[in-house]
Amino acid sequence: MQQRRDEIIAKRERLAELKRQRELRASQATASRQSIGTDLISPTPSRLENRREIESLIKNLVGESLSTGANSPARRGSRPNSVLSAGELSNETSDIGSFQIGQQKAPTPQPQVLSTVSLTTIYECPPSPVKEVFSYSKGVQTTEEWIPPNRARAFSESDNEELPTATPSKRLSRRERDREEELREKIRREIEEELKATRELVTDGVLKPTSAANFPVRALTGEELKAVTQSNDFMDFLDRSTKVIEKALDQEYDILTDYTLQVVDVDDDDEQHGNIGGKGRRKVKEVVQFYDDRYSKKRMISSIDFSPKFPELVLASYTKNPTAPHDPDGIVQVWNMHLQDRAEFVFQAQSDILTAKFSPFHPNLIIGGAYSGQVLLWDNRAGKAPVQKTPLTGSGHTHPVYCVDIVGTQNANNIISCSTDGAVCGWSVDMLAQPQESLTLVAPPPAKNEDLSPTCMAFPQADPTFFLVGSEEGTIFPCHRYDRAGAKAGVDARVSYRGHAAPVMSVNFHPARGPVDLGDLVLSSSLDWSVKMWKVRAPAATSAVGPGLGAVGGEAHVTPLLDFVREDVVYDAAWSPIKPGVFSLVDGAGWLELWDITVETEEPVARISPSPRKDGRTMLSKSLNKVAWEQSEGKRLATGGIDGALTMFEVGPDLGGKEGLKNEEWTNVKKLVNRLEAVRGVNGAASVVV
Amino acid sequence: MSDTALGNVSDALEETLGRLSKKPGVKATIVLDRVSGSILKTSGQVASIRKTNSSNQTVGSGSFSNNDTAAPGSSLDQGVEELASMVWNFVSSAGDLVQGIDTEDELKLLRLRTKKQELVIVPDAKYLLIVVHDTPPA
Repeated sequence: MQQRRDEIIAKRERLAELKRQRELRASQATASRQSIGTDLISPTPSRLENRREIESLIKNLVGESLSTGANSPARRGSRPNSVLSAGELSNETSDIGSFQIGQQKAPTPQPQVLSTVSLTTIYECPPSPVKEVFSYSKGVQTTEEWIPPNRARAFSESDNEELPTATPSKRLSRRERDREEELREKIRREIEEELKATRELVTDGVLKPTSAANFPVRALTGEELKAVTQSNDFMDFLDRSTKVIEKALDQEYDILTDYTLQVVDVDDDDEQHGNIGGKGRRKVKEVVQFYDDRYSKKRMISSIDFSPKFPELVLASYTKNPTAPHDPDGIVQVWNMHLQDRAEFVFQAQSDILTAKFSPFHPNLIIGGAYSGQVLLWDNRAGKAPVQKTPLTGSGHTHPVYCVDIVGTQNANNIISCSTDGAVCGWSVDMLAQPQESLTLVAPPPAKNEDLSPTCMAFPQADPTFFLVGSEEGTIFPCHRYDRAGAKAGVDARVSYRGHAAPVMSVNFHPARGPVDLGDLVLSSSLDWSVKMWKVRAPAATSAVGPGLGAVGGEAHVTPLLDFVREDVVYDAAWSPIKPGVFSLVDGAGWLELWDITVETEEPVARISPSPRKDGRTMLSKSLNKVAWEQSEGKRLATGGIDGALTMFEVGPDLGGKEGLKNEEWTNVKKLVNRLEAVRGVNGAASVVV
Repeated sequence: MSDTALGNVSDALEETLGRLSKKPGVKATIVLDRVSGSILKTSGQVASIRKTNSSNQTVGSGSFSNNDTAAPGSSLDQGVEELASMVWNFVSSAGDLVQGIDTEDELKLLRLRTKKQELVIVPDAKYLLIVVHDTPPA
């Protein structure tokens, strides 16, 4: 029994010695890294790991010997592990430094830990010197030689490999034991190093150079690489990140520019370079041209709209590419001023998109009209396909939809669409399965044929129940959405605006955002080589025929106020949203013209043609279909046509922009209108020379 | 509807990256795995960037291509890997900084301007895109 007891004591000694050594090392390591003092260090995960290791060791040593000598009185000497570890815990957490120093001085380790009654008997025998620690080892614990793990990286690994060794067996020779100790030390050191590295990473947030050494964790195999690069995640990421980077690269201004340095003389390229039209304050300058080799190719631009929310975004809708039958027929691209080589969003449809528009009430939504008669709704959060579309059959449109609009208020708005057969439908944005209202426009009585085929539609700013449609025969008809006093829903038979001799391509109300209400001025363009300005009568007006109106059978034919005769077919004309007298038009010869009726009514004040594409066709590719103003500043306008390129222009301070805006400009326009009305009252002429 | 845009993923991938590398000034693009740092995709003269850094005193800009052609494939890969590891470590520590300031925050974009070039790095949950380009002459 005495022998057993001795064995146990010796084992304890060894354990303590081991523990002391490693703690000493640990304290040295921490002390060398942190000069604050070890007693400030709270127990880190690594410390816990260390303890766990020791505990397992103790379990191996004590627990097993306990089982072997279960009947011996030595059982008293062995204590539950938990007590020991608890003692350690309290020691370590309270004051590590002093504890370690004390241990270093005293050859007998941790007397305060082993202070239970049972241990007093054990300490009757004087503790043997350190050397004796090595004389008894795992002789009782191992059956076979302990095989060192090749790679002790994880604690679980080393633990697992140690456990099977904990079986009682014959004693090993001292040499073997020494070697074992050595290995153990080595492993421990490795573990500690790793711990230290991770601890450093956690506390300092700095990667040690060693982590760079085993970078990357491993190279991926070809298949793995393929799997990753083909995943949708990866594509999404690339799509997003390249957009960001392209925007970063497109940023022209260098924020690091140092103006104190002598810079190479940069010419003021405004006057010499680039595509410039007009002069001085009425200059028009080409800013950027948007074209995508994949999506813009061989398509025509059918409509353009600036985002009301983000002035840098502009959308263009495209017709089909006849040479690419596998590509979707209809495309809407949303371009960003700051991303010049590719579209921010590309939306698709199965049929040519003839018109598209940002929803003024929801920045994420875009509505469109298709050749198939569908009204489509895209959401830029939902991918390329439309989130909603109207059915092809039944109550919706069965003819091409050339005009859509959203009218109403933020809380109550409707999509209004109009197809070439005269059908006008009102839709709820939330539900496109069925129109909420529907109306068929028919030509009023004097016409021989009831058919009316609208080519364009426009709502005035103030009234969402009244609109104008331009027809293929050249007449512009006022229409009501609902029955009202003196007029039924549909075409108002009392008034018609006649003057164009060919299909009307656009109708545009004056934006009316000034001190003088000019909201009744309408601009129309037509294939008869002219643009005309009209003064529209208030929709509620039931008054009799005014001056200048030829009354034919109770029906008033209003003639235009002003006629701008051009040299080619005019496809579009639009008022400037800011300058009251300024409008722009685009024609079949590829010219973008800017007019200011307060300055000149015979000639444009500026004209410019988009720079031709290098690879574009030269014949019949110049024609421009649409023009649109940026709404908030009125400084930029975009145009596009047959060649599929969307070109953005910036105008000088006299043609756009909010600075230097004077009230006289509105009164001048008003005076001009009054004068024109007076002249027309005298001679009833359609065309007036001012 | 034939959704051609998603028809061939690798085509679209090449197109997107190709478009980026064709932009003026862009020298190289690298795509890394955010977690492991494995190189997923590279394009452009990745190796030359490292070379530029190490031997900029003696070698003029004209001889980059010479270096490239002279370098055997293994050392070229080595250069890519080194650059990737440097960037990866940089992004990791930048991410730690952001986390240190506000644990709910997240690193979104890194633009590293040097005298000679700029590294634009877009970190994402799973991947990293690095583009190296010449800064505009000042």
